[in-house]
Amino acid sequence: MKKRIELTINGEHYEFNVEPWRTLVEVIREEAGLTGAKESCGTGECGNCLVILDGKPVNSCLVLAVDANGKDILTIEGVAEGEKLHPLQKAFVDHGAIQCGFCTPGMILAAKSFLEKNPKPTRMETKEAMEGVLCRCTGYVRILDAVLAASQEMMQENKTATKGGK
Amino acid sequence: MKKHSVVGKSLTRVDGIAKATGRAKFTYDMELPNMLWGRILRSPYPHAKIINIDTSEAKKLPGVKAVITAKDIGPVRYGFVDTPRYPADQLVLATDKVRYIGEEVAAVAATSKDIADEALSLIKVEYEELPAVFDPEEAMQDGAPEIHDEIVPDRPCAWEDWGVARKARSYKAENNICAISQQGHGDIEKGFKESEYIREDKFYIPSTSHMAMEPHVALANWDPSFQKFDVWLTHMGYEVKRYWLARALDVPISRVRVRKAYVGGAFGGKIDPFSYEFLAAFLSRMTLRPVKISLTREEVFIACRLSHRFIINVKTGVKKDGTIMAQEIKAIDDPGAYRGSSPVVLFLTHGFRRPIYNIPNAKHEGIGVYTNKSICMPRRGHGSPQMSFSVESQLDQIAEDLGLDPAELRLKNFRKKGDVLPNGDTLHSCGLAEGIQKAMEVSGWKEKRGKGRDKNRGIGIGVAAMFNGAQYYPFGAAATMKLNPDGTFTLFCGAIEFGQGSDTAMSQIAAEELGVGLDDIILVSADSELCPIDHGNWLSGGIFVTGEAVRKAAVNVREQILDFASGWLEVKEDDLVLKDRKVYAKSDPEKAMTFAELMINSIQARNGDPILGKGFCKPVPEVEFYPSLSKGTGRWTNAYTFSIIIAEVEVDKETGKVKVLKLTSAEDCGYPINPLAVEGQVESQAVQGLGDALFEQIIIENGRIVNPTLTDYKIPGTLDIPEEINVNHIITNDPKGPFGAKEVGESSRSAAIAAIANAVYDATGLRIKELPLTPERVLQAFMDKKE
Ligand code: FES
Ligand code: FES
Repeated sequence: MKKRIELTINGEHYEFNVEPWRTLVEVIREEAGLTGAKESCGTGECGNCLVILDGKPVNSCLVLAVDANGKDILTIEGVAEGEKLHPLQKAFVDHGAIQCGFCTPGMILAAKSFLEKNPKPTRMETKEAMEGVLCRCTGYVRILDAVLAASQEMMQENKTATKGGK
Repeated sequence: MKKHSVVGKSLTRVDGIAKATGRAKFTYDMELPNMLWGRILRSPYPHAKIINIDTSEAKKLPGVKAVITAKDIGPVRYGFVDTPRYPADQLVLATDKVRYIGEEVAAVAATSKDIADEALSLIKVEYEELPAVFDPEEAMQDGAPEIHDEIVPDRPCAWEDWGVARKARSYKAENNICAISQQGHGDIEKGFKESEYIREDKFYIPSTSHMAMEPHVALANWDPSFQKFDVWLTHMGYEVKRYWLARALDVPISRVRVRKAYVGGAFGGKIDPFSYEFLAAFLSRMTLRPVKISLTREEVFIACRLSHRFIINVKTGVKKDGTIMAQEIKAIDDPGAYRGSSPVVLFLTHGFRRPIYNIPNAKHEGIGVYTNKSICMPRRGHGSPQMSFSVESQLDQIAEDLGLDPAELRLKNFRKKGDVLPNGDTLHSCGLAEGIQKAMEVSGWKEKRGKGRDKNRGIGIGVAAMFNGAQYYPFGAAATMKLNPDGTFTLFCGAIEFGQGSDTAMSQIAAEELGVGLDDIILVSADSELCPIDHGNWLSGGIFVTGEAVRKAAVNVREQILDFASGWLEVKEDDLVLKDRKVYAKSDPEKAMTFAELMINSIQARNGDPILGKGFCKPVPEVEFYPSLSKGTGRWTNAYTFSIIIAEVEVDKETGKVKVLKLTSAEDCGYPINPLAVEGQVESQAVQGLGDALFEQIIIENGRIVNPTLTDYKIPGTLDIPEEINVNHIITNDPKGPFGAKEVGESSRSAAIAAIANAVYDATGLRIKELPLTPERVLQAFMDKKE
């Protein structure tokens, strides 16, 4: 009854035998042992389980693991480069955007995928983009601050990188 | 005043990087080798007799390692309240009957979640339905269904275990009444007689959910070789949890170790002992394997407690100038099928309001009534949101009726520093007057109030207060510290980090006293084996009590350092300075030694003394044990926090939708140990209060929660928050708090709810007395007004 699937998670290749009803978040957490992705509602309503699947943000509690077969996944554990934090991670820490931290992985991944599409967003655009991830602790103020600060930082980095490349 | 270098600074959280990288381990993330998954079978009926439970088929299912019903463990009782007057009324597993939908009836442990789920479906329970009652006012009537038989405790109650020498008695709920409280002072009749204007209003407040993002989880591991439990819990303080676990499982308390894991939000919802925690432990002992029970979101909504439902009648008498002369309150609390925290919330609805206004004559009657519904417990402010909404709405209306400015009316009646409350508590610090002036000024109150109705805009105010800890088990907190060979320090303290920032704040306090940086404090927190006693992070005693214990532990270490260094360096103690992991003489900085050298030398010169410190603190050092819950007499706490919020809203007359434009807060937390964290706490509460004011409510039909999902129970998202939340620190330096600090975690939520409701009035002229102010309710109020 189990099905064999292959996933690339944070650049690493994994193979699992899973029941066809297993969700992606379960497999990431329980089989791959990457517990950064959180499950809070299990029904697609909170965004705490958000991961990036083939470049798109998805609520991984709504994706069957078998449907992710062959796909590329980014979880929070793959966001930093070794010990070097991603600008979003650093901004979340510096701006007080983290309290209990349970929503943080989903928030950071949602923000990351949003900033890739819209590198210089307004606060309102950020609010709209982050609407799907719920946080009960922070009241969101500092989360929005952090995302906007990170967008500045990332543009700065890009500029330097381009210049450096020339 | 002395300049601080670590406290008072907006330092980033010590757990920030762990949480930003997904490395922080939450209880929910914990797994152990060979672990089993537990699942719970719950009652589908609000009130029914259990005729028979047949577990034989479930037991046969391959992979099932244990099935448990009340037969296996007997009637094991527990409760948040277990006093001589009110014996614990909850059961780990229902015995003869079930009293609410969701009550625990049986549980299984299996090798996978799927097998556990399948096993549940194989348990056959035969029920006989009983008439149920859902409305507290009906439940109090003669002839209403009786929810509880006489409860006869089979052992001393918790309070007796904790030193209160009184004899426990049985409890028979007459007319389903599970708690009564009567408090007051002055002469209420005289007060009303002397009043020139009297108003009476009735308010209705529904249950809400704490909705911490991490669902409730327990992982228990019974080690037969040491006869000991290791448990990981989503909790808010380990002492109470392990007390109840030890008692229910009949092991000595030292044989239960609560381990540290991060907790993903709590807000009061993780204080109570829960059946699933006991069940994980029982199942682990039965199977000799670790057992984890993770609840689903729906289970959390139904069985992990709600905020208290209240009906509150407020009668207030004032002079024409707004001076309050008398206030009489009649409150009905509906805690559901078990008592929950009913006696406590009835007391606190009174206690939290006493420090705000100087009301010479007051009477407060509260009654708790069983109904066949989910159980209610503290949620952030524990009764204050409900009472603050009611009283603050009415005061606003009184000001309106008398043609007074509602802010001025409040200012006129505010208590001030030095006031002694009727129970004997003294306000050693009080930022009410300064706070309201600041909030009025920053929000533009004078220019805006009463001027936006044509634009459907309004501005409103709310005021609330909070205890800074109180005397509950284990009545105090302690901390220990040791000097390390590299000159850093390890701090051991029981406070649990659930988002509020206690790990950071405790480290800051210790670092400040020792003249080192935040990085020089290595923290061991929330492990019941390693850390000394701690009263837990509820009733907002975290900073005021545990923080003071930590400060004293650091002072104790500092004294030892000074004592040794003064001898070794031959310098007077008062000439010594601690800075950057060094101690040196002010007069001659050459005379110095590093902390690392000091440790080595102390060991050599003082028979191995490595420098160990301890500190402790009690919420009200002057008194023993508890205040009386039912009469409210006796000291309650040693400091009060004050929150003022001014809200600005816009109301859409077509849809009835309320939009909160701006929230301005003035927060008297004494002294902000970490201003960034304080602002985070206020913003958090402002937005939670926005949800409470406008849309959060648990809807219960015939005992069934019909909205146990995040689609149907909406909490605020990014699009709901105001453009601006402005937090103003009112620094009052409480003489009893560490560095002058008081709590900040609970009172602004209440202030925000009241402020938003009052702003809706200012915008519309509609006084809505039932929460939340949903679009339907606002539209209805518009229609009622037209008629
Ligand atoms: S857990 Fe997936 S959306 Fe909530
Ligand atoms: S930080 Fe706790 S849920 Fe967002």
